[in-house]
Amino acid sequence: MHLSFKQAAGAVALILVLAAVLMVWRGRGRPPADGGGVDDPLAGVRDRLPQAVGVWQAETPDREFNPDSIFSYIDGAGEVYRAFDMQRCLSRRYNRPGGPALVLDLFVMATPADAFGVFTHDLDGEPAGIGEDSRYRPGWLCFWQGRLYASIYAEAEADGVPEAVRQLGTATAALVPPAGTRPPILAALPAHGLDAGRIRYFHHPVILSAHYFLANVNLLRLGPGTAAVLADYRRGGSDAKLLMVEYAAVTEAERAEADFLAAYLPEGQAGAATRLENGRWAGVQRADRRLAVVLEAGDAGTAEALLHESLSGGG
Amino acid sequence: MTPSSWTITRRDLIRTGTLAAAVGALGMPLPGAPATATARSRVVLARDPAVFDAAGRIVAERLESMLDQAVCSLFGVRNIQDAPAAWRQVAGPKDVVGIKSNVWQFLPTPKELESAICRRLEATGVAPEDIAVDDRGVLKNNVFRRATVLVNIRTARTHHWSGLGTCLKNYIMFVPDPWSYHPNACENLGALWQLPQVKGKTRLNILVMLTPLFHGIGPHHFSATYTWPYAGLVVGRDPVSVDSVGARIIQARRLEYFKEERPISPPPLHIAAADTKFGLGPSTMDRIELVRLGATAGSLI
Repeated sequence: MHLSFKQAAGAVALILVLAAVLMVWRGRGRPPADGGGVDDPLAGVRDRLPQAVGVWQAETPDREFNPDSIFSYIDGAGEVYRAFDMQRCLSRRYNRPGGPALVLDLFVMATPADAFGVFTHDLDGEPAGIGEDSRYRPGWLCFWQGRLYASIYAEAEADGVPEAVRQLGTATAALVPPAGTRPPILAALPAHGLDAGRIRYFHHPVILSAHYFLANVNLLRLGPGTAAVLADYRRGGSDAKLLMVEYAAVTEAERAEADFLAAYLPEGQAGAATRLENGRWAGVQRADRRLAVVLEAGDAGTAEALLHESLSGGG
Repeated sequence: MTPSSWTITRRDLIRTGTLAAAVGALGMPLPGAPATATARSRVVLARDPAVFDAAGRIVAERLESMLDQAVCSLFGVRNIQDAPAAWRQVAGPKDVVGIKSNVWQFLPTPKELESAICRRLEATGVAPEDIAVDDRGVLKNNVFRRATVLVNIRTARTHHWSGLGTCLKNYIMFVPDPWSYHPNACENLGALWQLPQVKGKTRLNILVMLTPLFHGIGPHHFSATYTWPYAGLVVGRDPVSVDSVGARIIQARRLEYFKEERPISPPPLHIAAADTKFGLGPSTMDRIELVRLGATAGSLI
């Protein structure tokens, strides 16, 4: 076979293009060897983290973990971060002579909604005014900002520790812009009586079980494609717990509603409150892809009002 | 997930009146499962505040004394000078002994305790090469693979998924996929004790409560703020009664510290389930004989 110069040049060009495409394709999703680059979730953050906080100096090197290796760093609770689609974790330790170390764990989640979600997993403590929301309790500060969820842990309480923890938190939060919004499903929560400081946002049933044991199976068909929010209410003398779930498809919402009714409220019907054996009230109702479940309410009126309000767009 | 006969809901617990106990975590029957009717299980609580020196470090001699006193009491040996007789009820010259420890970075099983147990086992005639201490490598450890006897020792702490890190939970490393036991607050941890490499081999369970963790925060679930110098060892033959005593102490400490009812979260359902579903021992105090040795002030139980 004889190729003309033009044909040969074209073949070489095609091979070069294919090779380039193959190289790019093979490199997708891998953390670059130097930890930087366009696919690196920590790009633009890692190098700008403080090297010192007062008398505390950063220890080198940093340690980084992906969703597989996070278990080697966080014994047990690594699943929490995976349940919120963690992309990367950077851990930096700050030491000072003769004093307790500070440990900064910086998690980059897939979306700001996930960063918000993992923040809501533990809401004990007092707001610290850092990032988009934060909590401080002795020995620990956490906050979320954009796709970042940050934990700053002091190995012991000592003079200067609370100030240093807050200073490091403030500097870290400044590295990324705020998302400015929270997951859309939160807007559907009825405002009247809502405990705004105790809202939990999640996808995974294991997170629901950590906050509220509903069943030993995934009764509500929660998963990566669902957005769920658990909230507490107090209206007058009655309290209630409301769970809302948004599904990817109407059929999934319909199945979840049917499963919940069959297993939890077999004598009940959608939209109506059912009295539980402990004297409290529960109910479920669906509208399109969204399901509202009142898990416990002090009276039937509160339960039915929450179901109605949460699905009527009147939040 | 279509509901089936295996589905247990919160409402089932409400209906059977066990939810409050479940949330309280402490030894309640689960619906549909009869409690095992057995003789009372002896659990020894040994405490000695002098187990710490002025700097808070463990004083090995005091810890060993606590250990020997507890083991003697557990096995009915009246005089601590006869402690070898008690240890001979744990293992002997023909045994291969795996000591299942725990290496959690913040509260590992004290090395002083591990080495004390090794020396006592050797004194009973167990060959040194037939004794191993391990945690995460037990599945590949040749001694554990050959083990005829297991000794289970770990520090008590709250735990993100199971509510409490217990003696029952300490065997999670005997499976290659520990996370598969996480659903429903790790309720089915008792199943671990049915594994062939484990079943029937455990002669001694020690829940180390020198500085237990009663509340966890942050990704690593630890702050020294939430430990206290309880200076105790909880020792028994079955893991359920040992863990039940430990759970009550942790719960009592939470009440003392927070000054309000703050149940262990999530509820450590696995303790009661190990009793009612797996028959590994009693989880209610009416079926536990608690023997107290040493300091009683601040025992919380």
